[in-house]
Amino acid sequence: MSKKSVQLGTLLLAGSLVLSACGGNNVTNNPPANQGTNNPPVEGAETPDNSPDPVTISIGYATGDPAGKKALEDMLDDFNAQYPHITITNYSETTSDSYLDWLKTKDAVGEFPDIIEMRDTKVFVDAGKLAELPEELHDLFAYLPEYEGKFYNAPIAANAPNGILYSKQAYADAGVTELPQTYDEFLEIQEKLLATGISPIVVGGKDLFHMGFWVNYFLINHVYADDPDWNSKRTAQTASFTDEQVVAAITDYKDLFTTYVDKGWLSTADNQTASILVSGKAAQLFSGPWMITQIKEADPNFEFGFYAIPDREGKVTVNGLPTLAGWSLSAEAAKDPAKVEAFTAFVQFFFDAENYKPFLEASGSIPSTAEKIQIETSEEMQQVLDIVADSSIEKSMMINQWFGENAIPPQFRNWFYKQLQDLVVKDGDIVEYMKQADTEYDNNVRANAL
Amino acid sequence: MDATLEKKKKKTWRLGYAFWFILPAFVLYTTFVMWPTFSSISLSFTSWDGINPDIRYIGLENFREIWNSPRVHNAIWNSILLAIALVVLENVVALGLAILVDKVRWFRNLFRSIFYFPVLMSGIIMGFIWMIILNYNFGVVNQLLDMTGLSAIKADWLGNPDYAMASIILSTVWKSAGYYMIIYLAGLQGIPQELLEAASIDGAGRWKQFRHITFPLLAGAMTVCIMLAMINSLKLFDQIAVMTNGGPGFATETLTYIIYRVAFGEGRQGFGTALGIVLFFIIVIISLIQIRVLRKREVQM
Repeated sequence: MSKKSVQLGTLLLAGSLVLSACGGNNVTNNPPANQGTNNPPVEGAETPDNSPDPVTISIGYATGDPAGKKALEDMLDDFNAQYPHITITNYSETTSDSYLDWLKTKDAVGEFPDIIEMRDTKVFVDAGKLAELPEELHDLFAYLPEYEGKFYNAPIAANAPNGILYSKQAYADAGVTELPQTYDEFLEIQEKLLATGISPIVVGGKDLFHMGFWVNYFLINHVYADDPDWNSKRTAQTASFTDEQVVAAITDYKDLFTTYVDKGWLSTADNQTASILVSGKAAQLFSGPWMITQIKEADPNFEFGFYAIPDREGKVTVNGLPTLAGWSLSAEAAKDPAKVEAFTAFVQFFFDAENYKPFLEASGSIPSTAEKIQIETSEEMQQVLDIVADSSIEKSMMINQWFGENAIPPQFRNWFYKQLQDLVVKDGDIVEYMKQADTEYDNNVRANAL
Repeated sequence: MDATLEKKKKKTWRLGYAFWFILPAFVLYTTFVMWPTFSSISLSFTSWDGINPDIRYIGLENFREIWNSPRVHNAIWNSILLAIALVVLENVVALGLAILVDKVRWFRNLFRSIFYFPVLMSGIIMGFIWMIILNYNFGVVNQLLDMTGLSAIKADWLGNPDYAMASIILSTVWKSAGYYMIIYLAGLQGIPQELLEAASIDGAGRWKQFRHITFPLLAGAMTVCIMLAMINSLKLFDQIAVMTNGGPGFATETLTYIIYRVAFGEGRQGFGTALGIVLFFIIVIISLIQIRVLRKREVQM
């Protein structure tokens, strides 16, 4: 009996030692090494002598392309050097595809970051996870996205327009000398490209978000350009996917995909599109300016251009309205004044022209700040910036980017893109598929209201 | 009187010991498996989005939606199709391989290792490899077809709904057949040689020996294999997520995939949990039927 209890006791002791060892580790890890107040001031740092109390703040963002990721990491290093009393713990480890999953998991395990790159503002504000953007930051931006009359996001970059990235060689081979002025001229170019034997358009349809580029080109030009409030009408059931203009949009989409899109589009991932373009297998890609860096990396000598596709009447409308996204402060962190201060310092540092400029250049983004920032751009990026600056080109948004009354049920977007893939591969009846879209939309609205 | 008392004492002592041995596993299993499973049942009656602390009860609404949703019906149909195809193909291939490696004279161990090797690979990595092999533009399959002048039969193996499911099935068979092969091999080696010798003396050919002796005596191994193959195919997820993302369109969405998609991708944890419970009952029912049928066959043997 006594032997047994000794054994049991030993086991318990060993167990508690193991557990306490883990705990001890955590504790010693917490205070960062460079926080000590006795440390000599870092060279070039602007810390006042009565250095503020050390504060640790965590950050989470979607790591996109390698260039953008590196630019952001460099920025964090510079920030740490300049503000030695603020230690930023970087939680980021995921790509944009699964970013929402990742944030939810972090929240579930109690590690919701203090500074978050927020892309689903509505969801997290409704759940009470986000704090409003501190007042003193408002003036930094040319425009602040608003949700229910409040500001939650410091927009990391302006919403970039989508356009055609085309191979100049392929256009020359097909005898295309001028860029299209109408959608019909655009289709004529596709015909000429097809005749030379090249695949006119590469689409990364394996990644659902990539479907959004084309689908929204058609929706913007047929629907949102004339009626930016269409989504709210759909929610109120006064508009339908079987409406004439939506059916026209989807008809154009289906025709284009059936005739001119590279045959392997459904198994091509977004990150393969740049290689397919530079390898000469396809002539064009419809995407955004972030692809410019990727294309240049895939082949620095590849000659290409960027333009926005006009509609049938020659009017150009691109997505480019500010979206409800950007750096946000968590509600939990907002309770600690030191963290709010650290967040404010970080946002001011991030959007300071000196730091913001290299980030924009590396990630191929468009500045969102009120202060004009002169970025050194490639010829292609300049074409994008011209589109953004051109006031005759109207700006709109993708179906899922609208907010407030015009927000669609969050689950609808992916379903809709899948439905549209299905429509093309099964050569389905457009009106029938749009009726199903109505049903699904109404079901989603009803489910979310419950 | 004394003897029964002794027996009773021994019994309680044993019970006590058993209790202490079972306890740690029981506590761990209850905390990490049973408790989350049962607590999730209540979530299936909510419209929870996975984040909002305000969880609202909506009664049987999720189950009504499951009942009416064409997307869920399609996923159930795909799951059944996948399960039947995988159970049949995996077992046929595994049995074939087992007989092959049982009879082969040279390099017996080499062949066993080769056929078993894919089992060791993770489903995700295997999915990536097959995705690259079957890629329309860069994939080995299409490149080979191009080289051999068979460009006409080139296809988008994972992007065409006619081939996407077949591609997933074939790659999964390739991955898992080796596992069932080992079970069949053990079964084959347990068959007494005398029976086969006697049959051959009686003039039974190879096929007859297999048909009337080997195959019936493998009933036990087959029950296990069919059971495992059925469960594994119903919960197949990684290959689908990596190779097709449930696409093109909804073509390769199965119940397990759709659960992940709606719960985590579309922010409908409540609905996802309801689907999970439906899947649980489907698996329970199928397993019960299967065990009953296959056990009966074993007994008859």
